[in-house]
Amino acid sequence: MFAHVAAVLAALLILLVPPARAGQEHLRILHLNDFHGFARPHQPPGAAEPLGGIAYLAARVQALRAGQPTLLLAAGDMIQGHNWANLTRGAAVIETMNAMGFDAMALGNHELDFGQPALAERAREARFPFLAANVEGLDPVRPYIVRTLGGVRVAVIGLATPETPQATHPGNVAGLRFEDPALTLRRLLPELRRQSDLVVVLAHLGHAAERRLAQEVEGIDVLIGGHSHTRVAEPPTIAGTLLAQAWEHGKALGVIDLTVEDGRVVGAVGRLEEIRPAGAPQPEVEAIVARWDARAQEVLGQRVGEAGADLDVRNARSAETNFGNLVADLLRRTAGADAALFNGGALRAGIRRGTVKAGDIYTALPFDNYLVAVRMSGRQLLAALEHGVAAVERRDGRFPQVSGLSFSYAPAAAPGARVRQVRVGGAALEPARTYVVATLDFLAAGGDGYAGFGEAIRSGGDFESVGGAVSGSAIAYSDPGRWLRDLLIEYWQRQGTLAPGLEGRIVEVE
Amino acid sequence: MMEIRVDGRRVTLARGMTVRHALIAAGALERVLAGARVIDTWGSEVGLDGALDDGDTLRIVERAGPR
Repeated sequence: MFAHVAAVLAALLILLVPPARAGQEHLRILHLNDFHGFARPHQPPGAAEPLGGIAYLAARVQALRAGQPTLLLAAGDMIQGHNWANLTRGAAVIETMNAMGFDAMALGNHELDFGQPALAERAREARFPFLAANVEGLDPVRPYIVRTLGGVRVAVIGLATPETPQATHPGNVAGLRFEDPALTLRRLLPELRRQSDLVVVLAHLGHAAERRLAQEVEGIDVLIGGHSHTRVAEPPTIAGTLLAQAWEHGKALGVIDLTVEDGRVVGAVGRLEEIRPAGAPQPEVEAIVARWDARAQEVLGQRVGEAGADLDVRNARSAETNFGNLVADLLRRTAGADAALFNGGALRAGIRRGTVKAGDIYTALPFDNYLVAVRMSGRQLLAALEHGVAAVERRDGRFPQVSGLSFSYAPAAAPGARVRQVRVGGAALEPARTYVVATLDFLAAGGDGYAGFGEAIRSGGDFESVGGAVSGSAIAYSDPGRWLRDLLIEYWQRQGTLAPGLEGRIVEVE
Repeated sequence: MMEIRVDGRRVTLARGMTVRHALIAAGALERVLAGARVIDTWGSEVGLDGALDDGDTLRIVERAGPR
C-alpha cells in the first residue's frame, strides 16, 4: 500500500517540478548536519511530539530525490554523540549513510573524537568522500569533489572549523594543520571554477563564521553549514551566496532547489523540512538502525571488570565516598592535574560489588560530561571548596568529591566560612600559587553555582594552538569528545578490578 | 575564551564550549529544559550542543505553543 502511495506521490512530484527551459536545469541539494548519531525519534525539551528518526528522514530523502538530479550532503559531526554511534565509534552512522546514498560529508570536529586511526577506518567503510580542504596531514580526507548532475558540473568543497584543536583531545589532532577557511577558499576557488559551473561549500564552521565567509569570499553559490546546530528555517542570500543549515540530530532535512541556466545559478531557494516519525520509515535504514541498536545493547551488557567493593553514591552529596574518590582520581590522573574536584550530584547510581557491565557505568554516570582541567589560584580553589560545602545540610548536588587534595570543614559554621585545613599534594594550600584542577565541563561552565572555574578562565586569557596541541593560560586540558562514563569504562578495562576506599580526604570537624 | 550574552547577561566560557555551557553560566539551563527555546543573533533557533562564536548573543524565548 505504502509503495503504491509513494509511487503516486513521486509521479506527482515529477509533474510539479517546473519544466526546464532550453539550457536550464533544475537541481536539488538535500543536506543534514550535526546528526551526532541520533538514530531514533526523540522528544527534545519543550517539543510537543517526537522529532527525527533517521529511517523517517531517509524515506523523505527518497521521495525528494525522485524526478530530479539530487545531491545528498552532510555538513559534519555525524558519527559521535549518542550512545548508538559512540558504542561503535561511528560505524553504525557510516553504514546508515552508505545506505542513504550520501554523496559527501564535510569533516566536523567530532569526526576526530575517536582518533585518527578510527577516522581512517570510517573513511574506508564510507562509500562517499570526507571533505576538508583546509586541513593538512589527514590522509582519508579530500579537499573537494566535482559531480555532474543533469549536465551541470557541481563542485563541493569541504571546510572544517579551525577551532577543532580546541574542540577535541589534542592527541586527535596531532600532526594536523588547520588553515583559515577564507584563505583556503580564495586559493582554491579559481581551480574549482575552471572545473565546474556551480560551487557548493560544505562547511562545519558555525553559522556566525559561515555568514562572515559568505560576506568575505566572492564566488560561492551555496554554503551549507553546521557546527552551531542552527535551525535556518528560511536560508538567506548573503552577497550572492545562499546560506543554509539544518538544525541538529536529524530533526530537520535541508532542501535547496537550484535553477541553473547556461552554467549559472539563476534561482536558489532553500527550506527546512522537520522530520517526524509518521508514515513508513525507509525499510533498509530502519533495519540497519535496529541491528545497531541490538549491537549497542550487547556492548552495554559486556563485562568491564570487577568491583572489589560496593561503590557508594548515597553519601556523595554530603561526604567523601569511594565512588567519588575513584572518579576524581581518574579525572586528576587523566588530565595530569594537581587536584580534581567534581560535584557529587554527577554520580546517579551506585555499583554493587562483583562483575561490572558497561551498562552499570552508563546508569551511574548518565550525563554527557567531559573532562576539563583549569589553571586556578589556591584562593580560587579554596573558594570552590567553600561553595561545595556551603549547602551540605540540604544534601545539595554541588558537594565536592576530590582527588589530590584533602580538607576539613565545619558544617555548623556559616556558609562561606566552613573550610578549615586544605592540603594539595600533601602540602598546605598556597592561596597565591597556581594549581591545575581537573573537573567536569559542567562545573567549568559554572554549573551548580561554581563560579571559581569561570573566574579562572576569564582571568587566564585565551587558548593557543601550537602544532595541534592546545595550550592556554587557563585551560590545561579539555576533551569534549569523550564522555566521563567512557573514560571510566576504558580505565576499568585496563585495571581489571577496582576496590576504592575512603582515605580521609574530606573530614568533618566541630 | 569567549564572551557570550545570554538575555543581556555577559558570560565567559572557554573556547569549544556550547550553548548548553552558556546557559549553565547564565543560570538559564532549567528554563530551556522546561521548554523555552534559544534564539541566536539572527533570530534562528539553536540546539543546546551548538558551537558558539566569541560575541554571540543568545535570547531565551518561551514557547508559544506546541511546535
